[in-house]
Amino acid sequence: MLIPVLIGMSIITFSIVHAIPGDPAKAILGDKATPEAVAQLKESMGLNKPMIVQYLDYVKGIMTGDLGTSFITKTPVAEEVGPYLAATMELSLAAMLIAIFFGMNLGILAAWKHNTKLDYTAMVIAIIGVSVPVFWLGLMEQWVFAQDLGWLPSNGRIDPRMAFESITNFYFLDALIQGDLEAFGNALQHIILPAIALGTIPMAYIARMTRSSMLEVMSSDYVRTARAKGVSEFLIIYKHTLRNAFIPILTVFGLQMGLLLGGAILTETIFSWPGIGRYVYEAINNRDYPVIQSGILLIAFIFVIINLIVDLLYAWVDPRIQYGKE
Amino acid sequence: MTKTLLEIEGFKMHFHTDKGVVKAVDGIDITVGEGEIVGLVGESGCGKSVTSLSVMGLVPTPPGKVEAGRIQLAGRNLTQLNAKDWRQVRGNDIAMIFQEPMTSLNPVFTIGSQMIEAIRQHRKVGKTEARERAEEALREVGISRKGILNEYPHQLSGGMRQRVMIAMAMVCEPKLLIADEPTTALDVTIQAQILDLMRRLNREKGTSILLITHDLGVVAEMCSRVVVMYAGQVVEETDVHTLFRDPKHPYTMGLLRSIPQLDKRSERLYSIPGNVPNPRKMPTGCRFAPRCEHVHEICLQSNPPLFEIAKEQHTSRCWLHDGEEKEETDRDRTREIVGS
Repeated sequence: MLIPVLIGMSIITFSIVHAIPGDPAKAILGDKATPEAVAQLKESMGLNKPMIVQYLDYVKGIMTGDLGTSFITKTPVAEEVGPYLAATMELSLAAMLIAIFFGMNLGILAAWKHNTKLDYTAMVIAIIGVSVPVFWLGLMEQWVFAQDLGWLPSNGRIDPRMAFESITNFYFLDALIQGDLEAFGNALQHIILPAIALGTIPMAYIARMTRSSMLEVMSSDYVRTARAKGVSEFLIIYKHTLRNAFIPILTVFGLQMGLLLGGAILTETIFSWPGIGRYVYEAINNRDYPVIQSGILLIAFIFVIINLIVDLLYAWVDPRIQYGKE
Repeated sequence: MTKTLLEIEGFKMHFHTDKGVVKAVDGIDITVGEGEIVGLVGESGCGKSVTSLSVMGLVPTPPGKVEAGRIQLAGRNLTQLNAKDWRQVRGNDIAMIFQEPMTSLNPVFTIGSQMIEAIRQHRKVGKTEARERAEEALREVGISRKGILNEYPHQLSGGMRQRVMIAMAMVCEPKLLIADEPTTALDVTIQAQILDLMRRLNREKGTSILLITHDLGVVAEMCSRVVVMYAGQVVEETDVHTLFRDPKHPYTMGLLRSIPQLDKRSERLYSIPGNVPNPRKMPTGCRFAPRCEHVHEICLQSNPPLFEIAKEQHTSRCWLHDGEEKEETDRDRTREIVGS
């Protein structure tokens, strides 16, 4: 699965990127550049070769770990993408944790108190959650919690005045390794608002999926058996029912996590979060082909990996699913 | 007569739905003595399963509501228990096995973990001891395979799963086992084995069994007393021999006639005409009247009470036996007069 998806992705991104109107050489040199200078730059960037040759060069590069060199910064993409990728992964993970925690509990509550006011309230929250535009929610958060109340910072990953040296580009990991609790707390404050903005939509999806999946399992025979054994309601819900209801929920986790990685651009822009979304967004403005191509390919790669992990988790959740056996 | 273990008295379980009240169980009296196997017979939708689930406290309320009556287990009124007390009764005093062994075990937990859970729910024992008890219980139902505790339900056949269900139900040595159509989903040979097993447990452990079934063959083989239900009410109750030899209620007769017989040639198997009445619109008179061959004027006007027939222990809800009850009450009255 992995290889064909990546080949497909590389062809699609390559085609779309080259279909964007505008000339990177002109974008770099500006409007007043002479046609000779533009032609020369194109030559040096390899843009005058036939498309198919450009594509094959690009694929050859990827095979050897070379993701191309940015037209603008002149640094290899593989070198400069690290911090952006780490920032996005950190934000997506935080958003996903919030989405999973609140989404699942909301869904469980709704299923447990099926057809009561609690159920309706939870589902109204979920519907609002999927309908609220991320940019509006982000701005509201900044307005209320950062500006009015002043509880939380509104942008960046960490207070730039802090003497903080990052090694892995994952700030939380670094802070823990260095035992710097102050930096950890500061990074935590910075991530809360963007993570909530980003996690709201997946939270709503997870809540709805959890509710319907739980309801289905709750009317099953084995849940009745558990009740007949005298098992408490709490264990019935969180052990017997949830474990069985988990497979469809897990699928939603995987898909939503992928969407978070790619869809973080808005949140990253609002909260000045230096992530891969903004990195690619700026590259698109600059017609920086290698950055766009490789950035999108990396996001696709992570998406595929996450879904592979989800597939493997199925087998762990449900013993009836086994890979490579039988 | 043996001591009474389970006593259901005038019990009514109604369901309040948007489309009206469904009187699933409408005033039934059933008793099960200690060590006794009682059969509860009737068509689909007659209230058998709701009765059994009521005894387990597993009817969701709402929409279900106990309108009247009591369910007493060894003198304790179950209908007034709170959720916590119910949990101590379920699996401990009363256990239940279900119709569908294929779906009654949780597919994502091992047999061992499900059995150990049942034990540790009611007994304060460590994991190792619980494991030993689980193995012991499985041996009693004829499963001595090593490593069964680490297997998942999907690795077992239907018969094996029903054995596991029985082992799990018996693991805390309940006084009463409710078996809701335990053999319906199984092959005939496996059916016989499971029935054998239940009879043996009844004999050896003295567990009373309330056997819910629509299979009169199973009743003949297993039970000492039979209660026939129709449309949420008991229509006939007697010992198993009388039921087959001399059934009184026209519905019971119909049931018996619809069993295929090997020694008689018949073109077509008999079936009771008509359908079970709509539980939202019960007939005003006798509930069986629209399908009955012996229907009279009075049957359409009022629902008969349970009449005692001839001697004790045989009752029938049919106006045909009205006279016999009068005889009984007349005798009682004479006795009263003589007594005073």
